[in-house]
Order: sequence, then structure tokens, then C-alpha cells
Amino acid sequence: MKAERKTPLVLSILTISFLILAATFLTDIWGKSAQLPEIPPVDPSFTKTATARVSAEELYRTKGDTSMLECYGCHEQGKELTLKFDEDHNVILPDEHDDIIMAHGTHNRNNNCFNCHDEHNLEVLQTRDGRTVKIQDGHDLCGSCHGPTYRDWLAGIHGRTSGFWNVSMGEKHRETCTACHDPHQPKFLPRKPAPGPNPLRPVEVKHSEGKAH
Amino acid sequence: MSCSSNSPNSGGCGGGGCGSGSGGHEHGMDRRSFLRTSSVAVAGVAALAASLAPLRDLTDVGTAEQFFQKHYKKLTPEDMEKVLARITREVEKQYEVRPHVRDYKAMDGVEFVYALNLTRCIGCRKCVHACVAENNQSRNPEIQYIRVLKMPHGSMDPEKGDHNYTSELVPEKGSFYMPVQCQQCVNPPCVKVCPVKATWQESDGITVIDYDWCIGCRYCEAACPYFARRFNFTKPSIPKDQINPNMSYLGNRPRPQGVVEKCHFCIQRTRAGKYPACMEVCPTGARKFGNILDPDSEVSHILKTKRVFIQLKEEVGTSPRFFYYFDV
Ligand code: HEC
Ligand code: HEC
Ligand code: HEC
Ligand code: HEC
Repeated sequence: MKAERKTPLVLSILTISFLILAATFLTDIWGKSAQLPEIPPVDPSFTKTATARVSAEELYRTKGDTSMLECYGCHEQGKELTLKFDEDHNVILPDEHDDIIMAHGTHNRNNNCFNCHDEHNLEVLQTRDGRTVKIQDGHDLCGSCHGPTYRDWLAGIHGRTSGFWNVSMGEKHRETCTACHDPHQPKFLPRKPAPGPNPLRPVEVKHSEGKAH
Repeated sequence: MSCSSNSPNSGGCGGGGCGSGSGGHEHGMDRRSFLRTSSVAVAGVAALAASLAPLRDLTDVGTAEQFFQKHYKKLTPEDMEKVLARITREVEKQYEVRPHVRDYKAMDGVEFVYALNLTRCIGCRKCVHACVAENNQSRNPEIQYIRVLKMPHGSMDPEKGDHNYTSELVPEKGSFYMPVQCQQCVNPPCVKVCPVKATWQESDGITVIDYDWCIGCRYCEAACPYFARRFNFTKPSIPKDQINPNMSYLGNRPRPQGVVEKCHFCIQRTRAGKYPACMEVCPTGARKFGNILDPDSEVSHILKTKRVFIQLKEEVGTSPRFFYYFDV
């Protein structure tokens, strides 16, 4: 008899508590889990595998604009070119070549165009050991002055390889020197970094290290 | 959830036939109390159902098929085929792209090693984002396998690094940059602590995770001295047009909520003979990857010819397959 009366009571209490729970969920009294702040998508350039610059090798391979590499579009074949330097031994360039900033090594040590270009045939390069190579084979030229780096490059240590590490499964491509270095100012220039991890909250200002403890 | 089938039982009558004719006062109950009890019960169950509303947000409960799936190492090739077909279906449904899901196996005679030239790294973070894109990591909340630490000169302690730097241009004077990701240890502490063997080291040196076996206890995350493991607190969110459809079971297939993930040396690329994504995107050529068992590989040359190597937190005995070096 007692149990019989208790049952509806217990059930009512349960019902009421469930109803309260349901009400709180439906009205979001406790709030939804906080909405995540928007994170802007990263600029696609950051995920591209393109090298720092477009080399002559790549221009010819991908059939890009090679007009600047065809010297005799402007120059006259067989005509001697005399280089002009200012008193600080900076080379003086015409407007047609204002894309070139000559800064190879410290103290203008390598700013003679004909250390690299062939004065008798502008469209090829001349190495230090007297070979002439195509303008897209810059690594042979660089290698004639930068022996150790060149050896590292051949072993895949300097510079970058792409494609397949396992050459039985696909082709391994070694990026040429001028894909990363501008031959005229070979120092790698500072660049804008990709965004860091989104802090989702204001970044804490770090206290000076000494103060801890 | 069906209420009607529950209500007679919860009315306390226990069994069929109550209220039908016999109607004894001592046993069972009279008509009025039955009605009262059962209507309260119906309301109660309805209220219970409503109070369980938050469960509706749990969209990521796996299928029965996934629930009964065996451990990776016990799957026969036929089992695996079915599993891959299921994953293909799931990805297609969710992301509207047809993925190419495979189970790439470790190759014989291959042990992967990574070498990173700290003289070259300029801290541009391209590797971080190429990795996210390649490996289908959650974009929001962000999950990133690589942290690029900006380090003060003279220190190799990752704890001293800052990965939130907001420099306008990199590199900045007075610092060097050290990207840290899973070090693919020879003695991985994360593997030892896993209570269900959902993470293990493969013969090519890659420590992998079976996302269908992981229970999300996060012991491995705590055990890793390199802070390399990430936990999916929420369902990962990846824009449909940014899914990488070339997937592998132990690698970059989309992860469910509640599992741990980390760098796996781009299993879907490296076991197909390619270089990992972080290496191919590096503009300075600081990253090197290859087979240490091949004496002609880049990494073999580096370990032979370069002089200074650092294995992070060497003292804890993890013996990383990830070598940092400086050009000297
Ligand atoms: C768009 C036209 C144009 C092209 C293409 C061009 N040049 Fe020139 N270049 C000029 C002009 C104009 C001058 C200055 C007049 C002169 O000395 O003939 C010049 C001058 C030079 C000089 C002398 C620099 C100095 O100190 O005065 C060199 C060396 C040279 N060019 C090399 C090259 C080489 C090598 C190529 C091909 C890789 C090339 N140029 C392609 C227009 C061009
Ligand atoms: C004629 C010899 C010669 C050739 C050819 C040559 N270099 Fe150089 N390079 C030098 C010299 C000299 C320096 C300066 C070294 C110094 O200052 O200590 C230098 C310096 C450099 C540097 C260091 C720059 C810096 O400021 O830190 C780089 C990078 C470089 N060269 C790249 C190249 C590349 C790439 C090529 C091929 C396109 C090349 N070099 C071809 C002679 C050459
Ligand atoms: C260190 C060797 C070196 C020196 C010194 C050098 N060049 Fe070049 N130059 C090259 C190489 C290599 C290329 C091919 C570039 C490539 O692969 O992108 C090139 C390309 C060019 C081009 C075509 C592409 C462009 O940038 O417009 C011109 C024009 C040119 N050089 C002119 C000159 C002139 C003028 C000088 C002297 C002021 C000079 N170069 C000095 C190595 C050199
Ligand atoms: C993947 C890009 C890449 C390629 C390809 C590359 N380099 Fe470099 N190289 C660099 C970076 C980055 C530096 C660091 C120099 C800096 O900070 O300016 C560097 C530095 C150098 C230096 C300065 C000495 C040193 O080791 O720091 C020389 C010389 C050099 N490179 C020559 C070459 C030559 C020669 C080739 C081709 C045979 C080549 N590089 C190919 C990226 C590259």
C-alpha cells in the first residue's frame, strides 16, 4: 500500500526535475559551449611549394617570359660592351637593367658582369674554369667559385630537392641555385612570416625572465 | 526514444493484464491511480527525452561497423578493404569529395630520418601551414603539428622558445628558429603509456596512431617530452574545398572528435616515395628527409659530413630520429 502511494510521488519528482533540466537546456541557461572565434584562412602563397624566385631554368622549362634572357633582342651581336663603374667601384647600369641590384659578396667583390656572363656571347655564362654553359645551367657557373657549397648541393644537402626521395618510384628534382639566390644579389632576403597559431584569446604579455621566482 | 512502450512498465504494474477486470485493491491498482501513474510516467519520460537534448549535438558517434572493427594489426586485407570503403563513404558524405584512401605499408629496408639545418631556418612558418593543408588538420580550432620556436641565441631548450612571435619580417637578428614536431623517437614514451595499444612504432620508424582504436585518454600527450601530440577536443572543421583527397589510414584521413593525432612524416606521401610536405615547401632548404639505411640519401650524407648534431632533450633517452644541426 505504501509503495503504491510512493510511486507517483517519486515519478512526479523525477518528472519535475527532468522538466527543469529540459527547460535549462532548451533556453541555454548555461550557455552553449562558447562559439569559437573566426580564424581567417591563411594566404595560399604560404602553402605553395614555389621557390623564392623564378630561375632561368624554370622560365625555359615552363615556357614563361624569357625576353630578358634573350640579350640580343636589344644588344647588337659582336659589339663590345664596356662596363662603367663609379668611384666606389659600383657598376653603373642603364634603365633597361634597373631590375638588377649588383651586390654579390661584400665590398663589391663580384660585381663584374663578365665574371659570369660571356662578353663574346651575352646569352651564355662562362665558368671560372673556362667552360661556357647555357644561362639556365647557372649551377655549373656558381659551382666554379663555390666549390664546397656546390658539392653539398650535388649531394642534396645544400638547397632543396623535391619530388621523390625514392628514385625507383618517381623523379627527384634538385632546385637550381638561382631558384633561391638572385645571382646579382645572392643573399636571401628577409620575408613576411605566415601567421602564428591563433591564440583564441589575447596573448599574455611575457614578464621579464629575471622576475620569475 | 519511444515513450509509449516504456510507460506500462514504469507504472509499477509489472506484467501484462493489470487493470483488466481483476482489479483487486490489494494487488495492482485501481483505474484512477493507474491513469495518474502512467500519465506522470509518460510526462516523465518525455521530460527525460527533452533533457537529453544536448546529445543531439553529438554528431560524431561512429557507426556499428566502426565500433566492431578489429585492431589495425588484426585486420586481414579483406577487412582493410571494407574499412577503407567505409572511410571513403564517410568522407564523401561529409566533405562531398571522393577521396583516395589507402593503407600504405612500411617498405623493407627503409628507416626514415629527418634532419633540420638551424643555420638555414628563417622562421617563415610555411611548413606549419603546408602540413595543415596536406594532413587535413582542423582549421578551427586550429590543430598544428609543427611549432616554430623563436629561440634566443645560445639556448637549445625548447621551453625557452616562443612560437607566438609576430615579427613583420623574419629572420630577426639575435634569434634563431627551431621548428619542433614529432621526433619519431626510437624509444617513444607515448607508445609505452597507451593503455589500448592504439599507437605504436612501425618498422620504418614512424610512430602511428589508429584513430579508430584511440580512446582519447591523452596519456600519450602527457608523456611526450616534445609537446608533439594534439587532441581533438571538438569535431575537426575543414572547409570542403580544402580537403586533401589523397589519404591514408594511419595518416591524414579525417579524424573524429576525441582522438589524438600528430605528425606521421606524411605517411601518405613518404611511403609512396615522396618527400614530406613540410620539406617541399621550405624556401631555404633547411629541411632534409630520407632513408638512413641508404648510404647515398641526403640524410646519410648529412649525418656523415656535418659535425654538430642536436637531439632535443637527449637526456630523457628518447633517441629522436629528428636531428638538428648547424652548418659549421
Ligand atoms: C630590354 C633590352 C635589353 C635586354 C633584353 C638586355 N639588355 Fe643589356 N643593356 C641594354 C641597354 C640599353 C644597355 C646600355 C647600353 C649599352 O651599353 O649598349 C645595356 C647594357 C648592358 C651591359 C653593360 C652594363 C654597363 O655597365 O654599362 C651588360 C653587361 C649587359 N647589358 C648585359 C646583358 C645581358 C647578359 C643580357 C641578357 C641576359 C642583356 N643585357 C639583355 C638593354 C638590354
Ligand atoms: C666569380 C666567382 C663567383 C661566382 C661565379 C659566383 N660567386 Fe657567389 N660569391 C663570390 C664571392 C667572391 C663572394 C663573396 C664572399 C665573401 O664576401 O666572403 C660570393 C658570395 C656569395 C654568397 C654569400 C652572399 C652573402 O652576402 O652572404 C652567395 C649566397 C653566393 N655567392 C651565391 C652564388 C650563386 C648562387 C652563384 C651562381 C649564380 C654564385 N654565387 C656565383 C664569387 C662568385
Ligand atoms: C655571379 C654571376 C653573375 C654576375 C656577376 C652577373 N650576372 Fe647576370 N646573370 C647571372 C645568371 C646565373 C643569370 C641567370 C639568372 C637566372 O637563372 O634566373 C643572369 C641573368 C642576367 C640577366 C637576365 C635576367 C634579368 O635579371 O634581367 C641580365 C639582363 C643580366 N644577368 C645582366 C647582368 C649585368 C648587366 C651584370 C653586371 C652588372 C650581371 N648580369 C652580372 C649571373 C651573373
Ligand atoms: C632552396 C634554396 C637554395 C638553393 C637551391 C641554393 N641555396 Fe644557397 N643558400 C640558401 C640559403 C637560405 C642560404 C643562407 C644564406 C642567407 O641567409 O643569405 C644559402 C647560402 C649560400 C651561400 C653562402 C654560404 C653559406 O653556406 O651560408 C652560398 C655560397 C650559396 N648558398 C651558394 C649556393 C649555390 C652555389 C647553389 C647551387 C649549387 C645554391 N646555393 C642553392 C638557399 C639555397
